[in-house]
Amino acid sequence: MNVVALPQKRMLPVTPVEAISIKEMVASATNIVAPVWPLKTFIAVNPLQGLEHLPFEQAVLEAERQRAASSDASTGREAVNRELIKWCSAYFDEGQATISMPGREDGLYRVFSDLARFDTRLNRSRADDIVLASLPDTPEDAIAECLEQIEIIEDHKEEFIRQALAALPGWSGYVKWKENWQTPAEHAKRPSTLVDYVAVRMVLTRLLWPEASLAESLDTPKPIFLSELTVREAQFRKSLLDELLTQVIAAKSPQSSRPDAQLVFCIDVRSEPFRRALEAQGNYDTLGFAGFFGLPVQVKGLDDDQPHDSCPVLLKPRHLVCDHAVDSDTSCVRRHDQGRSLLKMPKSFYQWLKYNFATPFALVEMLGPWLGMRMLARTFAPSLISGLAETTRVMVMPPVPTVPALEGIELSQQADYGESALRMMGLTENLAPLVVLCGHGSSTNNNAYASALDCGACGGNHGGSNARILAAILNSPPVRSLLADRGLAIPSDTLFVAAAHDTTTDHVELYEPRGVSVQQQEMLNSLRADLSKARIANAKARTATFGLHMLRDDMAIQETQRRSSDWAEVRPEWGLARNAAFIVGPRELTKSVNLKGRCFLHSYDWKNDTAGKFLTTILTAPMVVAQWINSQYLFSTLDNVAYGAGSKVTQNVTGKLGVMQGNASDLMHGLPLQSVFAGDGEPYHEPLRLLTVVYAPREMLDRVIQTQDVLIKLFGNGWVTLACIDPTNNQAHLLQRDFKWVSAS
Amino acid sequence: MPLFRFDNFGHFRPDSLSWVMAGLILFVVVNVLAYSNRYLAGDKNQPRHRRYVLLLAASVMAMVFADHLLVLLAGWAMSNLLLVMLMIHKDHWRAARNSGLLALRTFGFGFVVLGMGFWLLAESAGTASIGSIVQGTSEPTTMHLVALLLIAIAALTQSAAWPFHRWLTSSLNSPTPVSALMHAGLVNGGGFLLVRFAPLFATQSVLLHGLFLAGLITAVVGSFWKLLQTDIKRMLACSTMGQMGFMLMQCGMGLFAPAISHLCWHGLFKAYLFLSAGSVVHDKRTGIATQLSPPRILFACLAGLCGAFAFTLTSGTGLSFADTSSLMIALAFMASTQLAVGLLGKPLSSSRVLSTFLVGAGSGGMYGLSIRLVESSLSSLHAIQPQPMDAVYFAGIAAIFLVWMAMILNLPARFQSRTTWKRLYMAAINASQPHPQTVTASRTAYKS
Repeated sequence: MNVVALPQKRMLPVTPVEAISIKEMVASATNIVAPVWPLKTFIAVNPLQGLEHLPFEQAVLEAERQRAASSDASTGREAVNRELIKWCSAYFDEGQATISMPGREDGLYRVFSDLARFDTRLNRSRADDIVLASLPDTPEDAIAECLEQIEIIEDHKEEFIRQALAALPGWSGYVKWKENWQTPAEHAKRPSTLVDYVAVRMVLTRLLWPEASLAESLDTPKPIFLSELTVREAQFRKSLLDELLTQVIAAKSPQSSRPDAQLVFCIDVRSEPFRRALEAQGNYDTLGFAGFFGLPVQVKGLDDDQPHDSCPVLLKPRHLVCDHAVDSDTSCVRRHDQGRSLLKMPKSFYQWLKYNFATPFALVEMLGPWLGMRMLARTFAPSLISGLAETTRVMVMPPVPTVPALEGIELSQQADYGESALRMMGLTENLAPLVVLCGHGSSTNNNAYASALDCGACGGNHGGSNARILAAILNSPPVRSLLADRGLAIPSDTLFVAAAHDTTTDHVELYEPRGVSVQQQEMLNSLRADLSKARIANAKARTATFGLHMLRDDMAIQETQRRSSDWAEVRPEWGLARNAAFIVGPRELTKSVNLKGRCFLHSYDWKNDTAGKFLTTILTAPMVVAQWINSQYLFSTLDNVAYGAGSKVTQNVTGKLGVMQGNASDLMHGLPLQSVFAGDGEPYHEPLRLLTVVYAPREMLDRVIQTQDVLIKLFGNGWVTLACIDPTNNQAHLLQRDFKWVSAS
Repeated sequence: MPLFRFDNFGHFRPDSLSWVMAGLILFVVVNVLAYSNRYLAGDKNQPRHRRYVLLLAASVMAMVFADHLLVLLAGWAMSNLLLVMLMIHKDHWRAARNSGLLALRTFGFGFVVLGMGFWLLAESAGTASIGSIVQGTSEPTTMHLVALLLIAIAALTQSAAWPFHRWLTSSLNSPTPVSALMHAGLVNGGGFLLVRFAPLFATQSVLLHGLFLAGLITAVVGSFWKLLQTDIKRMLACSTMGQMGFMLMQCGMGLFAPAISHLCWHGLFKAYLFLSAGSVVHDKRTGIATQLSPPRILFACLAGLCGAFAFTLTSGTGLSFADTSSLMIALAFMASTQLAVGLLGKPLSSSRVLSTFLVGAGSGGMYGLSIRLVESSLSSLHAIQPQPMDAVYFAGIAAIFLVWMAMILNLPARFQSRTTWKRLYMAAINASQPHPQTVTASRTAYKS
């Protein structure tokens, strides 16, 4: 401990603080920030995640109180914030700068202590220079030393650190993500922990704001929205449960005829309107299942340089699955690869000249005419230009058929994944000749938030790859014979087909397997035709949500295409806005109800789950993801500045990892204004806490909840409301925070 | 006072420069209006934004077509004022207001200086008609020289030349389309002003050298800062600063037509990049080889020479090093060599070497063509010749060349653990920060 006894204004008891306790102090103070994922894999999180152990209302008040305490605009605090923003954006940059901050692999605090001396905004006097030249070796010591120098008394230290973290919740949240969620290999490139971050902040505070003290946290008035929230939730709950109960009462005996096809969609709220539209076209059954299809995988497409995790962030991927070309017809593959490097070339040329000295002077004149024309085309004919780009791509780089290589997953393991997926969604008998597994992703242009519209269950990626893997598993004869041994016989004429639903345009791409019979081909063709009809129906409903009512079929399709390819579009689709409920049960419960794209639907048949195993999984995994998403939308709408990212109009992408507002600001985490508001002051998302409705006996739910801390936390503190529709008596019940059931009616 | 006489001539006088500038501005305005229509959808200030953009287009038209000095001055003032109002789109956001005010202060200074310059110019020429002044053959007086100096200073403020650059690097609290309009349009005002009075400047060697040096500093500083920036918009702003510096260097070398070509093509380029700034998240960088063997360096330089030669052919410059147009020949060489270095990073084969030469020649040729395209429409500037090469110009070109060499040899990475480099890095990072008052230091200070 090298707490130097420099002259002090006031005598303080110099208590040697053990490094470990500083670490603990920081760790316990971090509950005030939630991890912030980078934009490439935008993951929705509850911004109050660290306060979920508190009842909802109390957590909101606590967050408000902290925010008020750490955001009063004193000159000193603003100076510290400004310099910290400067240091963070330079250090954490993920590849925007051509010349990066030197020595970043040494870690945030070490780089800072090495470079800070040369920062004339910090090093303004001889005294500053002495401080900066003799910074302690470890961040823990630096924190301890600075706290002494700023004269923070022992009892205030943890709270002072908490306020330091809350001052720029975006950047500290990003560091929290790095510390806890980033893969070790990536983390090692720019290592940093919240202890590093706090240490840098403390040094800055000591230099720029030495008179800092623990901000008094006044009790903030109870926000009005809290009472409004309960009223609106009750209204929504009543109308939803009433509608569902009529379905229960009208429930017919389960149909025994075999559907033409069963289609499994992601639980995502955007699946529901499309499923409804498709069911109207023919004899189709649809199901809902988490869009990663239960596969904890990393995937690497044929044209990808790097594999990416394609499973919920709560899981660690266990297998790497690479796509490879179907046949060894190498000329075709070679042509594809040549085309690929050819397509890369102009971009390389451009970058070589642009990210250099002097050559950009020539570059702008070489490309000026071309970019001028492109600007005109992208502004006035976005669909045309993206169509042309796609045609060129296909021409230069003819696609080759690929299959996922399953070698990385053991056969019995494949069977396990196949079995639990089918059983969990209750698809164990009466399998149709076609079972379509449909992942999803969005297609948007010039959108920093593109991955926020992709599949959350696939870690903010497109879900098509996972669907292809599960289809390959379930079509594999050895897997099927293993499954038959386990009492899950798949009819020999059943074909699993993977698909990808584009949630921006509602186009569904079927990944047709090779070697299908003529009959199967016909079925696929008619399915394709019905998917097109469903697309039109859904496009009309979708354009209406943008205020364009009663469009003609082709106009509606054109409008969705335009939104998808337009570089000026700030609302390409509504994403998961207006989400409000998570319904666990068979499709019969919801089939005849228009849920207006507000519900996550998870297929589940309690009769196949006597031990409650699947229900446990559903409530602790997909439901938790749904709650993260729900809270993200909720808080981004309630306070778009504190928890959302502000308007896209003035946003500025920093470090390729996040968004700032304008010249420089905190990392604006959360959703942008345009994702939850139709216009300034005109919310599109209706902020409601998640309502989970389970169609299963109450006793079963009781058993599941008792064993799961996360459920006790979420239901007991009012973050999620649980409603049960009990199949034994067709009654709806609500779980209260004391875990007692009351009748919902 | 001649400046305030309006009677004896038409106040507008379209010439080829007016038409080229008007074409550029109208093109960008049409794009920006259509883009903002969707990009600002739902924004409560959208109607106001649209009105200001239209008014801005009108005032720029007045400026570029003006023949009367006062009309030009009025157009200049109006368009700058409107730009400031467009910048403060989110008017409850303190940082945005401060950005606007910072720009306003700089523009205000520029306006006063320009006004004084115009007054002196009119006094010394005895008329306020730009056409007459420019064609005038009267002996240059001190008053005339001072007038030109003031006009040049006004041009530097408008084009964000060092030390007047800060309004530009602090302007990113503006909506994205406003940035596009600013970087493709208004920031070019300085270049337009200099070229408008090109025949007068062309005879003032001292002034030209001064402009050249101001441009050189701006070009070097802006280009270097750009390489360090970690957010897309400030990177683009620093890049614009560098490009404006280059354009001023061209003016300072008497290369007025190439300067207009540069500002036009740069304008379209930069507007495009601003409008597509949201794509940057998923945009991957491809590295460039940093260690090249001697034969590869030789090939790369030969490809660079091909590029330089192709440039002289397509631009019609002629292969001469006696005058300042060799600046652009040097640039063509650097760009072509750079591409060759990139291509030669992979295993050598005869087809690769051949394609390297083709790419080198092609890029030099494209550069030349772009310049020629604009030059050929600027008939009024044909009379102006490049300046003869001298030590100052040569040293400037050499400085640019040397920094470029340092980048090719990857010196920043090699020297990154040296104290000098750390000092330079931190100094550049600090100098390129936006004005503190325009930073949104605490989250609650942001107002959408």
